[in-house]
Amino acid sequence: MAPLLRNDMRTFTREELQKFDGREGRPAYVAFRGKVYDVSESFLWRGGKHQVLHQAGEDLTEAMQEAPHGEELLARFPVVGELQE
Amino acid sequence: MAKVAREVVEKAGINVDQLVELLVKNASAELTTYYYYTILRCNLIGLEGEGIKEIAEVARIEDRNHFEALVPRIYELGGALPKDMKDFHDVSGCPPAYLPAKIETVEDILKVLVEAERCAVRQYTYICNLTAGKDHRTYDLALAILNEEIEHESWFSEFLGEGPSGHFMRRGETSPFVSKFLK
Repeated sequence: MAPLLRNDMRTFTREELQKFDGREGRPAYVAFRGKVYDVSESFLWRGGKHQVLHQAGEDLTEAMQEAPHGEELLARFPVVGELQE
Repeated sequence: MAKVAREVVEKAGINVDQLVELLVKNASAELTTYYYYTILRCNLIGLEGEGIKEIAEVARIEDRNHFEALVPRIYELGGALPKDMKDFHDVSGCPPAYLPAKIETVEDILKVLVEAERCAVRQYTYICNLTAGKDHRTYDLALAILNEEIEHESWFSEFLGEGPSGHFMRRGETSPFVSKFLK
């Protein structure tokens, strides 16, 4: 599935991404392979936390290698920008 | 709490608090799925729906069995179920298996069922990976549940036309893998 692209795409530094941690009503964004996804609407990212181990605002590229699912589940969510390296 | 049982798991390098949280999330997923499957089963109607109703019922009962089997391990490791049922629902490790807003064919319900089972397969695979060689009892339990979740997935997948499951329906018994934890 191709990622959903939003019109208001922007570039995030890692520091900026950390602000979108899903806590206290803030949006929940996560990065994967340079793309930033908005997972705020996901039941499994409520409060910015995912399956005990992961927090929104992080780059999950490495963590995905240990996950019991692939990137196809992330592709269900809109891409809101790119992560600046 | 089983003090030594918890200590040996900690000594093996597992973050027991995180593991307990994962087990609670999956206990929630099982009990809420049992509830939502009740609604799905009731809506498996007509000639096509009737053919699937019984197998959906087996999955429903086995998911409840999984909840029952997980609870003792949560308490052994020093955890507890949330006091409030609403909180328990909201920490579920899998999304609610809601009845689709629009049902045109039985496939619409089957897609919900297979998605729920696929979430469960991912969850228990992860717990098995986490506990393998470190927490034998949780691993044994998670593996038993995983065996049944994989069968559920393959049943519904077969009905969706994704290929043969290779299985028969259960013959009078439920939870062939998990029942040893329920005795």
